[in-house]
Amino acid sequence: MRFLVVDDSTTMRRIIINTLNKAGYQDCGEAANGRAGLERLAESGADLVITDWNMPEMGGIEFIRAIRANAATRELPVLMVTTNAAKDDIVEALKAGISSYIVKPFTPDTIKQKIEALLAR
Amino acid sequence: MNHIPDEMVSLLIESTQQVFETMVCQPLGSKTPIEGNALRPRSNVVGTVAFTGDRCGMVAFYSTTETAARIAGAMLGIPAAEVNGEVADAIGEITNMIAGTLRTRMNDSGSRWAISVPTVTIGSDFYTTYVSDVRRALCPFTMSEGDEVFVELILTENN
Repeated sequence: MRFLVVDDSTTMRRIIINTLNKAGYQDCGEAANGRAGLERLAESGADLVITDWNMPEMGGIEFIRAIRANAATRELPVLMVTTNAAKDDIVEALKAGISSYIVKPFTPDTIKQKIEALLAR
Repeated sequence: MNHIPDEMVSLLIESTQQVFETMVCQPLGSKTPIEGNALRPRSNVVGTVAFTGDRCGMVAFYSTTETAARIAGAMLGIPAAEVNGEVADAIGEITNMIAGTLRTRMNDSGSRWAISVPTVTIGSDFYTTYVSDVRRALCPFTMSEGDEVFVELILTENN
């Protein structure tokens, strides 16, 4: 099971990857923005993507739209982890094509539950 | 000059405590907020996130370098002594989550904002001031081992 964690904060990437590692998922790639995330996907693929919303160069919404526009990644599960939690934000993210949503701050259990639910689909 | 609404200060305190309990695994005790331009806390690390929309202003986080390293270590699951270049990023993320949580809670009561990316200043002997009329409320907090951190809400006067 390969994960790709996309966030401009190295701290947040490490928190998420630590959580994944503790949950038994060891194959975790990372990227600092959506553009780098697309490059990683093209190079090595992923079974699930976890992405932030606000990032330089290419933000999370644009990144997800690019994933959905590509036949090779159209069905890829994408979990968004963000502080943008207003109703309008969630509607915008759903329209862009996210599979699920986690609001920062979050507990490790929240991430594990969301991932397990996505992988069970 | 008007005060910052009590509801906003309460929501800022709750947002800060939620972020620390969840991401730093530390309960935060809060002290009485300080309104106005009283002396700012002595700090070497300052994270800021600006916001604009129905309200305009800034959320600022203040701590010492040592406390910032302990916070970063707790977030990353490593001892503070092993924290090296991660302090700025960790404090930026903490400030971002506090401002984002406050934004969401204010949105629930009909106030819509957009927030900026965080910036973090690390150094000594610097003082933050504002060139336009602002309202300020400084919220002191104490971590479990006695470290103090401060979170300030700054509103521009046209709010």
